[in-house]
Amino acid sequence: MKIPYAFAVVLAFSVLCLSVMGAAAQGSFDLSFLNVLHGMFICPWADQCQLSLIEQQILTDIRLPRILMALLAGAGLSVTGAILQSVTRNPLADPYLFGISSGAALGAVLAMSAFSGMLAATGLSVVLNVTTGALAGGALSVFLMLTLAGKSAIQVEKLLLSGVAVSFMLSAFTSLVIYYSTPETAATLLFWLMGSFSGSNWADLMLPFLAVTLGSGLFFIFSRWLVVMQLGEESAATLGVPVHKLRLGMLLVCSAITAILVAEVGGIGFVGLMIPHIVRLLVGGQLHRVLLMSLLIGATFMIWVDVLAHSLLQDQVLPVGIVTSALGSLFFFIILKQRQSR
Amino acid sequence: MVNQPQNNSHGPGDADLAHINVERLSLTLGVNAILRDISFTVECGSLTGIVGPNGAGKSSLLRAIYCHRYDQPASLSGQVMIAGHPVHKMNRRERACKIAVVLQESALPFEVSVREVLATGLTPRKPLLSFTSRDDTQLIERIAADLDVMRFIDRDFGSLSGGEKQRVLIARALVQQPQILLLDEPTNHLDIQHQIETLSLVRSLGVTVLLTIHDLNMAGAYCDQLLVLNKGQLVANGKPDQVLNRELIQDVFRVSADVAIVRNTHTQERRIRIAYDMPSRVPVAAQPSREFRK
Repeated sequence: MKIPYAFAVVLAFSVLCLSVMGAAAQGSFDLSFLNVLHGMFICPWADQCQLSLIEQQILTDIRLPRILMALLAGAGLSVTGAILQSVTRNPLADPYLFGISSGAALGAVLAMSAFSGMLAATGLSVVLNVTTGALAGGALSVFLMLTLAGKSAIQVEKLLLSGVAVSFMLSAFTSLVIYYSTPETAATLLFWLMGSFSGSNWADLMLPFLAVTLGSGLFFIFSRWLVVMQLGEESAATLGVPVHKLRLGMLLVCSAITAILVAEVGGIGFVGLMIPHIVRLLVGGQLHRVLLMSLLIGATFMIWVDVLAHSLLQDQVLPVGIVTSALGSLFFFIILKQRQSR
Repeated sequence: MVNQPQNNSHGPGDADLAHINVERLSLTLGVNAILRDISFTVECGSLTGIVGPNGAGKSSLLRAIYCHRYDQPASLSGQVMIAGHPVHKMNRRERACKIAVVLQESALPFEVSVREVLATGLTPRKPLLSFTSRDDTQLIERIAADLDVMRFIDRDFGSLSGGEKQRVLIARALVQQPQILLLDEPTNHLDIQHQIETLSLVRSLGVTVLLTIHDLNMAGAYCDQLLVLNKGQLVANGKPDQVLNRELIQDVFRVSADVAIVRNTHTQERRIRIAYDMPSRVPVAAQPSREFRK
């Protein structure tokens, strides 16, 4: 099933570009593919814009930010998954491994329910919105995981166990807060937890964009060492790789990317786990290939998941997390069946 | 067989200088003394075997030489010098340029081609941000050809047999262009043919080699020098025929054996041969099968 790498990159990149435009033509408001092209490439620079103001606004203020957010989330979660899988040498690692999503959820939940009432009086509610709450919660979970693991954080198994413990602890708090909040808040929270790109605007894109580009840059810079580490930690150390520092650094970068993405779009499972596996099937296990292709395919996948979430039900938007989890489990069943029959 | 790296100032030529010099090395892990007061020297270009029963500290001795960092509290005293330079004062990279280590291979989680495994040997000499150059590729392919790894260079490492994997790992160590090669039980899990192949290969490399090994006959046949460890202490050090004798094997391994020097009828080589006393008929203490028959 493997395809030549250069061809795969070109193909994946073109598909991604086409997907951005194709997805912009999808939606309840009718906008043709040609109109999208016209709106994207002619309207911003020339005066001969043939699109109505409404059409332009729908395209640039609603659809494009949403699509780009999906692109960033897909790319970021996939590349983070690929890195975590190679750093922990565990094919089942994914970006939510360290309780980041539960930490972010707790932060968001607190920001939405309990404190918002208290802080509204003091005028601080603007600062403590869902995104900042989630970001703080994600940071808290990483901090807790590292402090609780303490000195044994250099052993990957203990770090993972500590992460799982933190994850359950924070989930318990989140459930507690949801249990005591009003039904409307609870519904909003649950919907947020399942992930959505709706309501993204250009300003929201800034932080995820920086996180994903800078993070991926770091991953590519360190990929030579990461490959060595994938072959075994002790032998990596004998090759001059600072194994413990590298792993901790990569985990922190992954955590930061994940926390920022979760803060913006909520919990979207399975992507970080599934996309790197698909990529390895397509272009083999070479790390820099896996990283680049994960970015491209993850982004494309997420854009179409978002389109699917918008179009599956009439006049209703499904949470993205539901669609990714459903597709993801289906994918793993297929892989499992194929392996069995071989 | 494989060309020496250009920057190897202490090649097998200048034998006046001991290549590895270990002085009063002791290692304690937690409360357990693993190595006690070990001193020895290894000559340039020689093949030295470390033998001893399980848990004697063979792997720990190798680890002390390549400065393994333990997860638990470890206290190390004494000194390990490579060509006159103390290893613990080198940084990781300098050390990795001098010492290559072949560990017992572990299972890999993902598919990796042999070529990629070999390329990781370049790590200590390449800056973090760099592409594999044509020279690098030539080096890898030359070593792969020398070690007969070329015919499966594009296959998945995980799909190779034990002997092939061992060759690849040795080839990777050579891509590192080391002065010293350390191997942790390179013949483990290999059949006789591949054990002989691996040891002959290691012998022919021309670098200073230090390896741990269980099979005393193999050790006697291929090593220039043997270090016998028992309970963390160096109990014997010398040429195989000086070291391996009935008393030592009885003391260290708790096995009685006949040790003889034999002449190979084909090659006329004189070689040490150890025949262990293996009780051929082990008395069965309890025979539950008879009771079951009732």
